[in-house]
Amino acid sequence: MSDRYRQLANTPIGRMVTKQVGLPAPVELERYQPGQPVISGPVLLGAAPHSRLAAPATAVLAAIGAEAHTALDDEARGAAAEARLDAAVFNPQAAPEDERFKALVFDASGIGSSEALREAWAFLHPTIRRVRRSGRVIVLATTPEECGEFPAAIAQRALEGLVRSVAKEVGRGATAQLIYVAPGAEDAIDSTLRFFLSPKSAYVSGQVVRVGSPKALPEKIDWERPLAGKVALVTGAARGIGESISEVLARDGAHVVGVDLPARSAELEALTSRLGGSSLELDVTDHAAPEELAAHLLAAHNGVDVVVHNAGVTRDKTLGRMSEEQWSAVIDTNLTAPQHIDRELFARKAVRENGSVVCVSSIGGIAGNAGQTNYATSKAGVIGIIEAFSSTLAKLGVTLNAVAPGFVETGMTAAMPVARREAARRMNSLAQGGLPIDVAETIAWLANPASAGVTRNVVRVCGQSLIGA
Amino acid sequence: MNSSVRRVAVLGGVRIPFARQNGPYANASNQDMLTATLDALVEKFSLERETLGEVVAGAVLKHSRDFNLTREAVLGTRLDPATPAYDVQQACGTGLEAAILIANKIALHQIDAGIAAGVDTTSDAPIAINEDLRRLLLDLNRSRSNAERLRVITKVRPQQIVPELPRNAEPRTGLSMGEHAAIMARDWGLTREEQDELALSSHRKLAAAYDAGFLDDLVIPFLGLERDQNLRPDTTMEKLAQLKPVFGGEDGTMTAGNSTPLSDGASAVLLASEDWATKRGPPVQAYLTDAQTAAVDHVHRREGLLMAPTYAVPKLLERNQLSLQDFDFYEIHEAFASQVLCTLKAWEDPVYCRERLELEEPLGPIDRDKLNVHGGSLAAGHPFGATGGRIIAGLAKALADDTHGSRRGLISICAAGGLGVTAILEKP
Amino acid sequence: MSVRELSASPNMAAMFARAGAALIPGASRLPFVSGGAREIPDLTLALDDVAIDPDRLARYDRVCGFSLSDSVPATYPHILAFPLHLALMTNGSFPLPPIGLVHIANRITHHRRLRIGERLALRVWATGIEPHPRGRQFSIRTEARVADELVWEEASTNLRRGQGGGGGDAGPRGQHHRETGSLEPVATWALPGDLGRRYGSVSGDLNPIHLHPLGARPFGFRSAIAHGMWTKARCLAALAPGLPERFTLEVEFRKPILLPSTVEFLEAPRDGGIRFAVREAARGTPHLDGDWA
Repeated sequence: MSDRYRQLANTPIGRMVTKQVGLPAPVELERYQPGQPVISGPVLLGAAPHSRLAAPATAVLAAIGAEAHTALDDEARGAAAEARLDAAVFNPQAAPEDERFKALVFDASGIGSSEALREAWAFLHPTIRRVRRSGRVIVLATTPEECGEFPAAIAQRALEGLVRSVAKEVGRGATAQLIYVAPGAEDAIDSTLRFFLSPKSAYVSGQVVRVGSPKALPEKIDWERPLAGKVALVTGAARGIGESISEVLARDGAHVVGVDLPARSAELEALTSRLGGSSLELDVTDHAAPEELAAHLLAAHNGVDVVVHNAGVTRDKTLGRMSEEQWSAVIDTNLTAPQHIDRELFARKAVRENGSVVCVSSIGGIAGNAGQTNYATSKAGVIGIIEAFSSTLAKLGVTLNAVAPGFVETGMTAAMPVARREAARRMNSLAQGGLPIDVAETIAWLANPASAGVTRNVVRVCGQSLIGA
Repeated sequence: MNSSVRRVAVLGGVRIPFARQNGPYANASNQDMLTATLDALVEKFSLERETLGEVVAGAVLKHSRDFNLTREAVLGTRLDPATPAYDVQQACGTGLEAAILIANKIALHQIDAGIAAGVDTTSDAPIAINEDLRRLLLDLNRSRSNAERLRVITKVRPQQIVPELPRNAEPRTGLSMGEHAAIMARDWGLTREEQDELALSSHRKLAAAYDAGFLDDLVIPFLGLERDQNLRPDTTMEKLAQLKPVFGGEDGTMTAGNSTPLSDGASAVLLASEDWATKRGPPVQAYLTDAQTAAVDHVHRREGLLMAPTYAVPKLLERNQLSLQDFDFYEIHEAFASQVLCTLKAWEDPVYCRERLELEEPLGPIDRDKLNVHGGSLAAGHPFGATGGRIIAGLAKALADDTHGSRRGLISICAAGGLGVTAILEKP
Repeated sequence: MSVRELSASPNMAAMFARAGAALIPGASRLPFVSGGAREIPDLTLALDDVAIDPDRLARYDRVCGFSLSDSVPATYPHILAFPLHLALMTNGSFPLPPIGLVHIANRITHHRRLRIGERLALRVWATGIEPHPRGRQFSIRTEARVADELVWEEASTNLRRGQGGGGGDAGPRGQHHRETGSLEPVATWALPGDLGRRYGSVSGDLNPIHLHPLGARPFGFRSAIAHGMWTKARCLAALAPGLPERFTLEVEFRKPILLPSTVEFLEAPRDGGIRFAVREAARGTPHLDGDWA
């Protein structure tokens, strides 16, 4: 599982060699440690004229105690004052070269035409090289479909190309994201902005996330334990990514109900008892599994708040050599079981309001992969689940999203042939593989009750993989 | 006791030209300059043998022997020796604070007329002996026997003989005022160019004021100097751009051109009740209507060293129900171009006004054409104690001379130690 | 009367050398050493365009106790004229050698305030030798003009002790020092031992009698004596604030001040003027009697 190349590349000699030879230079990504602030380092905030998201953004920065900066003549400065954010002053013309930022946050929502895209250039041009290691570039914008005016919709849509390219240019472990916020959803960006500013989003880059108007937002939230008092169901919990998901949801305060095959009962038991949760041994593909799950959740917890469909299998073969069992095993576990479980849970009203369902998709489901027709089919189908049901669940006050991991360092990837593994690891903007925790943190953000405005999103946890982009 | 408060009239002032350190006033002491300046004011207002209510003056760099500097200076003038006097010191706010003290006593009927003055020499600066040596010498003085004296004397070490020059450094931070100003310049993202522009404008305006004769009755020659030595009427942006940064490291934006030089000089202003003025004849140039001081915590970096005036002015405005735009002249002491620019930016900044000044709305921008219209400290120089008097006299005259309906001027002076002194002058 | 225009202030060192030479027995017969002639020559020395050096003035102000200002103290032109005085007295045709002369009186008439930056035209000549109870006396007269305006005048009276003395008057000012009973002491001055050297270096009057006990002993003094013109200047500094522009300041030098010394300054108002005096603090030995009018 260890990434020896990255370790080597971060030694003094390694740095010299990678620079001289032009090899990718992956940096050690900062990852979240409990108790640490959302962001450690200065944040530069800017806004295009007539923007509407600077106010909620400054409110978030004020709430997290960020060391904020703005240009004196920037639109965002008035918002900062309103938010009682004691923002320092930044002037690119005068700032010394060593003045760098942990994050650049730009509110592009005011950009109403392609000409006005110049504002984004004006903000990023003098600052993009001032982004620190493991830094963040976050562009806030208006959901193009909800823009009303065509020139505005086109300009807002154009930002995707900008942000995805910035994510590729920025380097040094820094990431870039575009957050589309629907009109009226301004107050719903809190959890999303916090996630993307923080080291929790270490391996998420070049993503476009949509935040809409939630049915309701929690009145108060403990950002250290946003899932306190909540119950989270995690399938495939015993190992790998599932284990990490369980740990992170428990860290965030949830009572985790871990589900895995009876064959993994020892591992599962050890995990859930460590996390103060409970375990349920069953095969999700069993006909009776949905009913059993729903009954348990209702009986033991009077319902569930977070459902994470993580259980998944692979049976890799090229299509011509793939047996029906190999095909069906993958489809049943990865795609059919989640549907059955969801149907049962919702039919019995087991999922509480302000809850969330998160499915684990895959880059393979987006890009396709030779030797994985079954797997890619199932994971693309997962995206189909999101698209099919999210609007229905939204009416119930439940969000439905998917995460799509790229190359994640697990037992599964460790078993890959060396050459393929190395290629897969490096073919992304961060030039390294992700960790299970990166997927888990992303799921925790989507499961957060404050993310009630975030639904119907497929968020890739892939370091901006070149595949399927 | 009269419980009413009287208006305080500014009748005018004089100063000697300001010289650069170790320039023409290299041999002049504070007392020499203060005496000459007070005497020039005596002559200007025919105060020979007059007993005034009080003379208040001060110097920032002062010899210990000058404990009664102002009183000694008064005795060297043609004022009646029965004129009381005392010294004040509030760093660069000394001159303005002296005027406020005189004004308050006039307002309260305690005196009818008085002189506020200030002086400083950086050339004839007090040099202290090494602190360890000083303690040894005090021990020596207390010794009773020769053996004891010998014991004390043997403790003297060669390095203790090196004297201590006064340093322009903040005692608690160890940083020079320039370094502090460089931090402010960086905090506010000031460019070298905008600082140089302010310096250039200061020189141009002061040169124009001389050319127009505005300073003819404000500046009296001294020791052969007729104009401020620091004034460079022919300076240009190109010349200013060539100067190397002196504060804030190699990337710094502050140079000798956009910082005030160490200077020598003195100024004095005559203040009086209206009754006194009417009886004695000199016309009232302006009224000193209100004043406000403030201080900031620069030590723990919560605020820039020279930002205190930004705190004082809103209080002044609120008490007088004025907006920042209700002034026809703004006299902001140019300790450094960066100080003035930071002050103006701060007043325009919604964040600073809300967070630091606790104002709902920013004070807003001022009309730059009304700023330091006859030049400022960057051109004239800045003998610490003398700047307040220079500004009061210049502003009072500007208000008196103006025929375009000007009513009011604001004075803002920053000072070491995180202090700020501000005042309002109004036209009669 | 012959007027000799000088192009520059005379070289003081050379003149002191010549003045010293006059002390050598028989040297006065040499043509360039003074003391040869019997009568004061009818000669006026003139020096134009004399500038006031602010640095030198500052040192003068400091040593004499004046506040440094744009105004030139009334006693200051004396030191500008002093090289001419010396040139006159070290001229080969001058009857009395300068070293050993005793400065007994000085009168300055100040017509108006003089400022730094003004340029003076100086004229110096000597009056005829007159008898004095203790020897022979003569005066050196100086006039200072700015452009053609007479701004300053001085009469400096010197005594040559012994030699053909007797007769004569103690001088017109002989009487007023007896009226000093009503003078009140107003200040005490501690004069340091090096005062003569300090004033000497500023004024250029490097007569050894003022510089060191060794220089004073040949003339019968156990220590260096203060310059009379320093004492006069110090008195003026004490009187200075409040003096009008026009005045006459007249002093008579009595017993020399042996340095170091502590002296008292006394003053008393007089009709339209001030009488003043300097006395030795402990014994009351009179050093100077003066009158400001």
